[in-house]
Amino acid sequence: MDLTLSEEQEAVRDAIRDVLRERQPTERVRAVMADEPGVDVDLWRAAAELGWFGLALPEAAGGAGYGVPEAMLLFTALGRAVTPGPWMGTVLAAQALADATSERDVLDRLLAGRYRVAVVDDPDDRLGSGARLDGRAQPVFDGGAADGLLVLGTNRTRLIDSGATGVHIETGHGIDPTRRLSTVTFSGASARDLPVDATTIRLRGTLLAAAESAGVAERAVEMSVEYGKVREQFGKPIGSFQAIKHRCADMAVRAEVARSVVTYAAVALQDGEADAAVHVHIAKALASNAALQNTTDNIQNHGGMGYTWESDAHLYLKRARTLEHCFGSRTAHLDALAAPWRTAS
Amino acid sequence: MEIRFTAAEESFRAEARAWLETNMPRTSRPEIADLAARRAYDMGWQRRMYDAGWAGINWPKEYGGRGASLMEQIIWYEEYARVGAPDVTTGFVGLKHAGPTLIACGTEAQKSYHLPRILRGDIVWCQGFSEPNAGSDLANLQCRAIIDGDDLVITGQKIWTSFGHIAEVQELLVRTDPDAPKHKGITWVICPMGVPGIDIRPIKTLAGNSDFCEVFYDNVRIPLANVVGKLNDGWRVAMATLSFERGTAFMSEQVRMAHRMDELIAVARRVPGPNGHERAIDDDEIARRLAMARAEVEAMRSMTYRSLSLAARTGMPGAEASMIRLFFSELIQRIDVLAMDILGADAITSFSADGASRNEWGERYLTGLSQTIGGGTKEIQRNIIGERVLGLPR
Repeated sequence: MDLTLSEEQEAVRDAIRDVLRERQPTERVRAVMADEPGVDVDLWRAAAELGWFGLALPEAAGGAGYGVPEAMLLFTALGRAVTPGPWMGTVLAAQALADATSERDVLDRLLAGRYRVAVVDDPDDRLGSGARLDGRAQPVFDGGAADGLLVLGTNRTRLIDSGATGVHIETGHGIDPTRRLSTVTFSGASARDLPVDATTIRLRGTLLAAAESAGVAERAVEMSVEYGKVREQFGKPIGSFQAIKHRCADMAVRAEVARSVVTYAAVALQDGEADAAVHVHIAKALASNAALQNTTDNIQNHGGMGYTWESDAHLYLKRARTLEHCFGSRTAHLDALAAPWRTAS
Repeated sequence: MEIRFTAAEESFRAEARAWLETNMPRTSRPEIADLAARRAYDMGWQRRMYDAGWAGINWPKEYGGRGASLMEQIIWYEEYARVGAPDVTTGFVGLKHAGPTLIACGTEAQKSYHLPRILRGDIVWCQGFSEPNAGSDLANLQCRAIIDGDDLVITGQKIWTSFGHIAEVQELLVRTDPDAPKHKGITWVICPMGVPGIDIRPIKTLAGNSDFCEVFYDNVRIPLANVVGKLNDGWRVAMATLSFERGTAFMSEQVRMAHRMDELIAVARRVPGPNGHERAIDDDEIARRLAMARAEVEAMRSMTYRSLSLAARTGMPGAEASMIRLFFSELIQRIDVLAMDILGADAITSFSADGASRNEWGERYLTGLSQTIGGGTKEIQRNIIGERVLGLPR
């Protein structure tokens, strides 16, 4: 039992954080979000060169040979930086393509940063259970910036090019300015089947969304603490007042809770533990909770400044709000946890 | 990162489980009101564990411990809770406070005399830290000790001393230098409770029991050899004591809490819900509160293991331990309140005339109110996290 990062994992985390600190300060995030297609193409290219999309892929498939814990580190870092772009779909698609020998060309382009993917999560097969897709899906995060769509059905995992016949993508804005929201309409579109169960990919996506939420929660604490040390009122830094200090302490506890459950779930998933799904439900519920509450508190701690567009505090709150709806809300995950207890006795 | 246990840890677990299943007490624990009987029961069970080599799992062998790792200590607690073995409540201060403090700061003579006696269940320790005017502001303590020859002569008062009336020994904080800044004039001493000049008066709690006391000292003489650490260095020693309380002492609680959650879920499947005809578990709000609490108990477990992994590198509980302590105390109260809500009107029945609950959930609900007060209020814990973990100004 050891829930601390190995030296190599610390190095992976630090390397990712350093790149994002340098290339993705929030001024840069703001420039990217104000422009089309809402993706930092320079960062995307750098990420491909650094092998981020294939972190958890075997070396034989063109990946770095790491696993879920390292992918978790990537998404926590992306959350800390409120990085725009369809990272989730692209990383999940890489995983889904790893064993699809006939799709090797797509995987190579994806890993080279030339094929971006958005996720269409369809757990109830509303779009159809076969290769033919019909119907409307929304919200799809960053669908407009994607070259392909990863359609996760009840069990089937399918990939379809964004420009394929029968695929229509309309993109607009939602609450989170760093993330475009799309409505995807399929009309008799023909998707390719990938040889991996959708529940496996969905579980991994849920864990990565939890990891991203944990990063958002963690960064919100740091922002409040930094501000609490320098902002003065009544002749003292506001962080010396218990009203602020205690709220920061609660935020720190929530961030620690999120970090701990996400880490445990990542290792459980990596090891294929029988109860891994339970730990993923817990991770998503608690990390989403931490992100939402911490980012709300962070705005309060910043006072009037926190209410401005200029302050970064709102970017984190809005990211937390969209993450809540990425692979299931807190309520959905709590209901999943309680379901086995509610059977007839 | 690794969430599995090593083969050695698994075999330790199997051995612990087998021993506990065979040897744990089967008779029910005497009521808290009958303290003498409770003490005899606790100490008898402690002695049985000691004789079989299961006392002080991570304490050094030369003092009667098992010399195993902190991880094995936690595995022991997990198995202990799994079989439902009774807590050695009256041994808490000796086993979780004074013992670890002596191991860290005591002299060779103090360690070799006291540690085996704690592990054998020969003696009960109590705590003498708080005073009427030194609660959250502990460093404001005024209980005075004057050096007279080879003795300290103590006069003053302590309060919130659990099991003071059945304890033989006390970990006592006294002021030895009234002119020094308040943190610099304090000394940590071992005070025998049977010496002349000590007067102990029980205090009745809101839960109807009287397990804690106030203690009065009138020219009590204690040899200087009983000082732990150096004279006037007691604040540092006390902080070590409290770091064990905030850290390792509560790590075992997550196991007991997980157990309690399983029981509560079973209750919710049995009792009627708020609408009177469905089961409590069929109510969405109750089901989600249970799921949230179960998730948070799991978080407590992950945080504990993370903290243990970090402590294994440094040897001491780290800053995250204070976060675990705060999270635990509030979580246990949420679970207690949830239990009261699930039980409905049944939760408020079966109390005795002296105010004590005869219902285990009712008793937990009332005694649980002390969780965010004792050992440092939740406000003090938040100050510690804010100042020492986050670096916010005082």
